[in-house]
Amino acid sequence: MLALIEIRRRKLQFGFVTGVVALIAYLIIMVTGLGLGLNEAAGTALLRLNGDHLAYAANSNLSVIRSRLSDQDVAEVQALAAAERAAPIGYVAAVIEFAPEESDTAAIIGVIPGSFSEPSVVEGRSLSGPSDILIDRAWVRVAGTRVGETLALPVGFETREFTVVGIVDQGYFFFQPAMFVDLASWKDLVFLGDAGQQPAASLVLIQGRDLDGVRGEGWRIVTKQDGFNNIEGVRAQQSTVDALRYMGLLIGAMVIGVFFYVITLQKVSLLGILKAIGAPGGYLVVQGLLQVLIVCVIGAVLAVGLALLTEATVLSSDTIPIDFTANAMATSSISVVIAGVVGSLLSARQVASVDPIIAMQQQ
Amino acid sequence: MAILELRDVSRSFGSGARRVDAVREVTLDVDRGEVVALEGPSGSGKTTLLALAGALLTPTAGAIRVDGDDITNYGARSRTRYRRDRVGFVFQGSNMVPFLTARENLLVVGHFGGADRSALRRRADELLDQLDLTAVRNQVATSLSGGERQRVAIARALMRDPSLLLVDEPTASLNFELGSRVVDALLSEVHSRDKACIMVTHDDRMAQRADRLVEIRDGRILADRPLP
Repeated sequence: MLALIEIRRRKLQFGFVTGVVALIAYLIIMVTGLGLGLNEAAGTALLRLNGDHLAYAANSNLSVIRSRLSDQDVAEVQALAAAERAAPIGYVAAVIEFAPEESDTAAIIGVIPGSFSEPSVVEGRSLSGPSDILIDRAWVRVAGTRVGETLALPVGFETREFTVVGIVDQGYFFFQPAMFVDLASWKDLVFLGDAGQQPAASLVLIQGRDLDGVRGEGWRIVTKQDGFNNIEGVRAQQSTVDALRYMGLLIGAMVIGVFFYVITLQKVSLLGILKAIGAPGGYLVVQGLLQVLIVCVIGAVLAVGLALLTEATVLSSDTIPIDFTANAMATSSISVVIAGVVGSLLSARQVASVDPIIAMQQQ
Repeated sequence: MAILELRDVSRSFGSGARRVDAVREVTLDVDRGEVVALEGPSGSGKTTLLALAGALLTPTAGAIRVDGDDITNYGARSRTRYRRDRVGFVFQGSNMVPFLTARENLLVVGHFGGADRSALRRRADELLDQLDLTAVRNQVATSLSGGERQRVAIARALMRDPSLLLVDEPTASLNFELGSRVVDALLSEVHSRDKACIMVTHDDRMAQRADRLVEIRDGRILADRPLP
């Protein structure tokens, strides 16, 4: 195969192009990882809730922070025929001191113990009392808290001790590690003064079908994904990350295209000779595209290796919200390969248009 | 019997005031086992005539037949197949694929399809041996001497056993001694394998070694005489 032989014999030239492709692919993988990491931090805990739909307060504009449902709202949602199961959940942010002079913010989510809305524990046991709390692994990484230890959560102007009974793997909510408490305890945490004004829940988590868009007087239902997309800043953040990815792919396609175009221009006389001695244009185009494919695939593989190395070293701490999934890496790598091949179509056109007469040095 | 027949072949480039008639109503036959030297000054139409015979150009008028087949109106695919299977080109300056070895430069024709690869490998080794290139068979083209490169080019042209060889200034970049060896190799191959060959040359000493000398001026054949 002429394409392979040329790559093998012109290692420096193709090695240089492969390095550039690898850097472009690395950039795109990093941006994708950053996007996923930001998403994870923005609200994985919401996405991982064991339901399909969420009911928000009608006047909340689908903001979890602003959504406050009354007992009547919750009862109306739970009474819906299409709702197979529905459980109220609450959200409030809390600053928790986990060591002297050291504190961090956590997303406290109130659930009914034993209901489907309570997440499964990966260590310890489930909630069983008003002073139990489940903490996420993300909090364990930050604070080193263990099962059996206590955490002091602010209630009004006081603090109340909660015992860590289990660890969950639900991720973050509003860039804060998620924690789960009894819904009754959550009500104490968000106490607004007058007991009559106390909300029953922030949201209702629902399992059921055909509920998207169903409304009541004080509530409305959307899919869980819509709820996630409406978390403050998520849409803008996702658009920014997507724009960076697409720009990266566009620039990558152009850079790879220009590189191969220059390489093709350098080979015009050789291509003319090959055509003159009987090489079909299609064969030479295929060889050219094969070279692009090989260079892009090797570049993408190098980029994945580089990204994994970066994750294991530079990004081993939790300070940068970046997340590499196999799917994201595969998608980014394949995108770079496709962008490279598309970018080099101009070269393919150039190859196809070479006139074999140039082998005789005349036109 | 003529392998190549050109009948009133003309080829012009451009149009109007810029029109150049490179070849004008040329009629020429080249027989099996015959080497025809095509001589003439620069711009006389030698290379254009060679390109027409090799289907690198199509004639503006006239007809070209090779082995009895009319190739005048061949489409792009047919012309590519014709060049691949029935013509052997030796270009000025050899024109090797620079990143391939001498042997791979011969085998490259096998990449274009229509051939048994193992038969081609045997043939490549046989030709390298006959042209005294076995010692350099694994050397990359760029490390070969000018004479070696031209002999490799001759070997490559013979790989598919074509009936017609078209050779453009094979000794242009070589000294007389090396040039003579290259022409000797070419004549030997054409005569022993019963090919027809047109060899374009500026060098009268090389031209005199052919079987026939055709002189061309301003796109027309000026003289066509056998050589002793």
